[in-house]
Amino acid sequence: MTKAVSKVEKEDFEPYILVFCCNWCSYAGADLAGVSRFQYPPNVRIIRVMCSGRVDPAFVLKALKNRADGVLISGCHIGDCHYISGNEYTRDRFERLYNIIIKQLGVNEKRVKLEWVSASEGKRFAEVITEFTNEIKELGPLRK
Amino acid sequence: MKRITEINEKGNSEQSIEDSELYLNKIYEPNLRKLLSKCYQCVRCSGVCQLSKVQSFIPSVIIQRILEGSEDKVISSGVLWDCLTCNSCLQNCPEDINFADIVRNAKYKMKNYYKQNPEEFVAHKGIYTTISEILSEPYIQPNKNLDWVPKECKISDKGDILYFVGCIPYFKFEFQEVDPIPISSLKILCQIENRPIVVLKDEVCCGHDLYWGLGNFEAFIKLAKKNYELFEKSGVSTIITSCAEGYRTFKVEYPKLFEDFDKKFEVKHIIEYIYEKLKQGKIELKAPDEGDINIQFTYHDPCRLSRFLPKSNNLLEKLREIFNLLEGLGYSFKEMTHNKENALCCGVSSWMNCNTRSKALRYSRLLEAKEAGTTLVTSCPKCIMHLSCLQKDYDDVFSIEIKDFSEFMVNLIYVIDSKNNGEVKS
Ligand code: SF4
Ligand code: SF4
Ligand code: SF4
Ligand code: FES
Repeated sequence: MTKAVSKVEKEDFEPYILVFCCNWCSYAGADLAGVSRFQYPPNVRIIRVMCSGRVDPAFVLKALKNRADGVLISGCHIGDCHYISGNEYTRDRFERLYNIIIKQLGVNEKRVKLEWVSASEGKRFAEVITEFTNEIKELGPLRK
Repeated sequence: MKRITEINEKGNSEQSIEDSELYLNKIYEPNLRKLLSKCYQCVRCSGVCQLSKVQSFIPSVIIQRILEGSEDKVISSGVLWDCLTCNSCLQNCPEDINFADIVRNAKYKMKNYYKQNPEEFVAHKGIYTTISEILSEPYIQPNKNLDWVPKECKISDKGDILYFVGCIPYFKFEFQEVDPIPISSLKILCQIENRPIVVLKDEVCCGHDLYWGLGNFEAFIKLAKKNYELFEKSGVSTIITSCAEGYRTFKVEYPKLFEDFDKKFEVKHIIEYIYEKLKQGKIELKAPDEGDINIQFTYHDPCRLSRFLPKSNNLLEKLREIFNLLEGLGYSFKEMTHNKENALCCGVSSWMNCNTRSKALRYSRLLEAKEAGTTLVTSCPKCIMHLSCLQKDYDDVFSIEIKDFSEFMVNLIYVIDSKNNGEVKS
């Protein structure tokens, strides 16, 4: 019993995590994780977008401004995008967002992440979310 | 005075709320009618309004409606988000009615009491204004990249002269045009000063866009406090910037918040700095090389350096004097049809309202520039970004070379050897 209590204390901080999933791969992957009953932490809020290319860097910044402790963007693997090259744009844009804005803002780089998850990777989706949530928990809240 | 003792008695959190209210009162005037009461409806403002050239927008009618008691209607219609805050109306108003400032105050109301969402008017989905908002948070300590600092320049985090870079490192996300501004400015400063210049890694935004564009005064105050602390910590007495908006914000708005700001820090635009050094005989201007002889340049006066400075500030006259000297050396400078206080707007102020109408404004500005010369010099990173953005769409104005003042001057300055006691070397 005492063990369980200390564990709760240690993980007292419940982060807010925002996840953008593209409709065709990652959201279906999330669905599959659900249907297959793979467990993942309930800290994430998923927003479905048609393509990861729809995620404007401004969305990520606004999420960070409005209380998110971490933001994950997820789309189809390169080459698999439903709109052919949407995720290539995401990748390039994300790199610039990361290097030019996130780093220079002094926000820990681990708080913003890009991952490719396909519709068949339900298990991987759960893993990605678990891993990311743990990382953010480790970092603590963005707002101190 | 009574207020201060009151604050001291209160708890910590209440104190900070009261404290921020205290600051807010210094920059926010909720009674718009009070600010407008002297208007006698001469309608000059509507005649010169730059926005009225491209859309229906009649400041004098808006003023009249507010004076007649329909403030609520005017504010809830949201029409005031459109104003460019270019200050052309103030320039021509016989009663010195500062309409742009009224718009600024109204924006605070529209945002906080009428729950209007300014986000839909902000360009680039608000990425740059959001950066400013994030920077204002106390838990954020920026870590700016200083790789751009030229090798020959020595910088430090303590000293007496600070170069304020501003938000250009973040603009890099989409704009490469503004990269040379800090590089050239710092080169000029280092060459002349010959000692380390303070450039801060954790410098934050001045807050200009939140103040004029979004009506987010709380974040503006937080940024101002952060800057004040940073400047104090680094022990600087002079702040030099190459940014028109930053300059004006430090010069005019910060002293409203902090009474001792102008006593503690002397704020200079790089134009003023170069002018002073020329007068002191510390630097000379170089005559043009063969290739430069045909360069015809003109100057776009940013609103924040022309119409937005107190009349006693003769920054633009100083600039013209520098240009006169250049002309004497063989460069050719020509004014655009609208110049100095009458300069046309670059179209997008504080990242607000980038649309077809602002495009028309920018286009007419560039046409004027084209008539006046091949190189357009200006002193505002935003003007550079907005104007060169339009060039990508219109072939006929594509040929104009848009440059920042520092970028333009960096190779034209010649530092006189101090051993020579200021004697001119040929
Ligand atoms: S120019 Fe001044 S006095 Fe004349 S209508 Fe406009 S605000 Fe009123
Ligand atoms: S500030 Fe500029 S756009 Fe706004 S009313 Fe005055 S002249 Fe028109
Ligand atoms: S004019 Fe161009 S650079 Fe300026 S806000 Fe509009 S799109 Fe952006
Ligand atoms: S549709 Fe999945 S990334 Fe474009």
